[in-house]
Amino acid sequence: MSYIILPDVVHYACTCGILKPISKLYFCRHCLELRCGFCVCHEADSHYCDKCAENLPSSEARLKKNRCGNCFDCPSCHQQLSTRAATVGPKNPDDPKAAPRKVFYLLCLLCRWSSRDVGIPDQAAVSGGWPERENIYAHRLQEIQDMYKAIVLSDKQQKLDKDKKKQRRYMSFTDRTGITASMLRKRIGWPDVPNPLLKAKPTELNNKAIAKEEVEEFPEDLLTSPVNLSLATTMEQRLVQPEWQPTTIDKLFPIHKHLSVKRSQRCRSCEHNVSKPEYNPNSIKFKIQLFAYYHIPEVRIITVEPLRAGKVSELLLKFSNPTQHQTSITLFPYKVDDVIACEDNRTEVISQSSEEKGSGSQPSSITHTSLTRQPSITIKPRPIKTRVVADVVVPNASFVLPPRDDAAEYDDSGDAHNIQNDPKIVVWRKSNKAVIKLQVTPNSDLNIGDEVTTAFTIQHIYINTITTVENKEPQKCEHKVKVFLTLGNLVGGS
Amino acid sequence: MEMQDTTYDKSEYVETASGNKVSRKTVLCGSQNIVLQGKVIIQSDAIIRGDLANVRTGRYCIISKEAVIRPPYKQFSKGVAFFPMTIGDHVYVGERSAVSAAIIGSYVYIGKNVVIGRRCVLKDCCIIEDNAIIAPETIIPPFTRYGGSPGMEVGSVPECQQDLMIDFTRSYYQHFVPARIL
Amino acid sequence: MPIYEGIGTITDKLVVVMDIGAAYTKLGFSGEFAPRCIIKSEVLCKESGIMRNIRDYKDKEDLYDLLVDFVHVLYFKYALLSPKDRPVVVVESLLCPTIFRETLAKVLFCHYKVPVLLVVPSHLVCLATLAIDTALVLDIGFSEAIAIPVCHGVPVIHAWQALPLASQAVHDNLRTALATHNTGVTLSDWNLEDVKVRCCFVTPQKRSIEFQKSTPNLTPCPEVKYPLQGSNSIIIPGKVRETMFELFFEEDNDHQCLSTMILDAILKVNVDLRLQLAENIFLVGGTVMTPGFKARLKEELYQQLNNERYSKLKIKTFKFHSPPCKDNYTAWLGGAIYGCTELLSMKGLSRETYLKENRLPDWANMKDNLRTL
Repeated sequence: MSYIILPDVVHYACTCGILKPISKLYFCRHCLELRCGFCVCHEADSHYCDKCAENLPSSEARLKKNRCGNCFDCPSCHQQLSTRAATVGPKNPDDPKAAPRKVFYLLCLLCRWSSRDVGIPDQAAVSGGWPERENIYAHRLQEIQDMYKAIVLSDKQQKLDKDKKKQRRYMSFTDRTGITASMLRKRIGWPDVPNPLLKAKPTELNNKAIAKEEVEEFPEDLLTSPVNLSLATTMEQRLVQPEWQPTTIDKLFPIHKHLSVKRSQRCRSCEHNVSKPEYNPNSIKFKIQLFAYYHIPEVRIITVEPLRAGKVSELLLKFSNPTQHQTSITLFPYKVDDVIACEDNRTEVISQSSEEKGSGSQPSSITHTSLTRQPSITIKPRPIKTRVVADVVVPNASFVLPPRDDAAEYDDSGDAHNIQNDPKIVVWRKSNKAVIKLQVTPNSDLNIGDEVTTAFTIQHIYINTITTVENKEPQKCEHKVKVFLTLGNLVGGS
Repeated sequence: MEMQDTTYDKSEYVETASGNKVSRKTVLCGSQNIVLQGKVIIQSDAIIRGDLANVRTGRYCIISKEAVIRPPYKQFSKGVAFFPMTIGDHVYVGERSAVSAAIIGSYVYIGKNVVIGRRCVLKDCCIIEDNAIIAPETIIPPFTRYGGSPGMEVGSVPECQQDLMIDFTRSYYQHFVPARIL
Repeated sequence: MPIYEGIGTITDKLVVVMDIGAAYTKLGFSGEFAPRCIIKSEVLCKESGIMRNIRDYKDKEDLYDLLVDFVHVLYFKYALLSPKDRPVVVVESLLCPTIFRETLAKVLFCHYKVPVLLVVPSHLVCLATLAIDTALVLDIGFSEAIAIPVCHGVPVIHAWQALPLASQAVHDNLRTALATHNTGVTLSDWNLEDVKVRCCFVTPQKRSIEFQKSTPNLTPCPEVKYPLQGSNSIIIPGKVRETMFELFFEEDNDHQCLSTMILDAILKVNVDLRLQLAENIFLVGGTVMTPGFKARLKEELYQQLNNERYSKLKIKTFKFHSPPCKDNYTAWLGGAIYGCTELLSMKGLSRETYLKENRLPDWANMKDNLRTL
């Protein structure tokens, strides 16, 4: 059970050439290829708050700057803040009937920072209505921004006009008919007003910032007063509030909790989803879950005899079939044929990009690119860099793995499957699992202590249950995957 | 790597009808308040404080050696109250970890030497790394990996965590076998 | 497109603005007045489990992998949106290495399928925050200080000045200074930065001169006991606190320091513009925020005017701009202002064009300068 704690010793080669443990791989049922986090396209699905587990529509999330309205983080240690209640005496102490009022404040249970420390008044409601701070330069910056918008817009308009004029010089359809739009306007007595946007003259750079001779004076008290480090904020504390960047702790204000996002993953070559989570933030279920762990036979190392350079060691591997269909597994020796394949792919990428050039007929504005689904560029698979330093003798017979059967976990009666085992290969077998014995020989030029890695290719029969229009029957296909095993270090002696 | 057998002394452990394996060397205070759903392993020197409030675990939970399961408390103006603690299915609690969470979801892995502060909520499919300290009242969302002190999100968990944990706890249970007497 | 996306958000565009600095990366959206986050420019290396700065790359492929991971964090942890729907504005220095900008473009276009990319030079865009078009911009970041005059909206590149006088130099200086005072203690980069930020400052010129004498006739500022892990702590002497930034103002073998950089840059531009530049000095970058820095730089500039080299400048006064934001994200803010204008659709590089050309326009490339020839 290596995937949670132990270092990963069995790696599968993803189609893109990166080695990953099976738990981090996807299997696209449409292309019948392995995919990993690197070679799928990630998409943001739904925003939610980690703490209150509330979903926010993306428009609302955007409005709130990706932050939760109700939950806060501690500005001092960045842990979650809790809302605490306190009772304060009734306003009129002489009136014994008046119920004590409840007020709320924020408290960090780790560093004991509280909203009272910085003088934020206690709130009467649990959810607060905590005071928000404004950027003091907001007004000025808005002005500048609007000004630049106007300048660029008029720039654009000028350019368009120029183009128009140029065009007119050579050819104009309205010229041929003898009527231009402006002539027509004049003739029917309308004022000759073009696009109103054109008229809006840019507000000239009239509100320029003025440089001053004075700069921030040297704070003289730095020279005399001792530094209290506990009052000065650290870099982290400053940078989580980029707008204010407080330098002293009395200016730390609670931070609205940053939202998280659920991601769905999409295969780059066929644009089908390989993983799509459910909408509910608490749910751990998936609408689409094409994880390799559910489709590709899993290989685990049971034992390996001490490895010695040039000597044969026995290796026991456990194969298990996660699918609902019987499969047959054949092993092939690992071949380093990737370099040539890679060269081929490089030329492919170029040709494909030139194809895309050719298909430039589709309109190419920003809005369209986001709406139409473009053909993806295939990124060339990388050559696998891991060195294989041990040979495996693979059996030239294949073996059968029965389908996974959850009920079999509770069944102690032994195997009902009637499978002819080749005793030379299969050592042990139970429900969908089988233990295989292999011989591995580390290269003779290895030194003691070197890490020994071996590899082979497994071919398994995959039953594709996707029904297409053409064939309604589940399809049988053979899928190959390269498996890399880190067997451990070479030991000395004989 | 396939899991190795963990052996135990048969005389030390009690196996109940529902398959729970509980060491005799544990401290189970208020055992009438402790509910183990079945196939749960509680190893030696673990402490479960059922006397404070109810503790309820799901199936296939593993409480390792010297772990402490302590229901959370909350302070009120008139004193302290303890709250029950529920643990989901297929949960692993590592050695010498002190857990005071209010709710632990299913398929949760808690490493060694972890401190989980009171009234934390651990949602399904999260991993707490070894030596992490989780501040009180922290809520840990699904599919996140927390670590460090103070505990912060340090990464994500593979999407098939549910099945990995099922497989892990099941094979742990299967490989938790009495030592053969020679 | 995610199905949960409201229709409203598609119509008005949200532009991602990023400024990937040597130490910190600023990320946010156009039209906003502060970055959403300022994070360290580093990613967790999956093989070794340590944090690696994205500028510490071995080769092009290594950088590609680092940037893929880093941009993934930017989008899915901070920006929280799908990269392929959104145009991107990248703020970068004019002296950014070609391999870095080309690889970043490749990552954004090929891996993340960004539709439009607009690369803006940091020295130019930070003037947008002031609404002026002529100034001498001195950017003091992590690895180096770069001064480039911008005249009427055009960076005068031939007048550029750069020196490795920035945060990193201070860190190295601090490391050696603290090692001599506290033997056997090795401080992490994080500690060094923390000591610098919380304890050190730039001392006025007259004290600095005094410190250079063999027997300084002054009392240094109080020393600080800086706690390390557990009960350990180190003493940071007052002199160290005051003098760590002195290397900015000490002339090196080529008689260069921060103040000469500014004056040399002014010297290299047209005579008509020199006075205007001297009266429009704009300091940006995180190091500028150090207490006392601006006051000291001003003192130093006036001092340098007495130097024979600069006597022909005829400068009487220096004037400084203060931006409507914190100094460490001024360039980002400029990018954000540019990003919300139509400039994006006019000057932005679309994905189709990039795939055709397979390169990024660059001022240093003659291919892109043909028009002006």
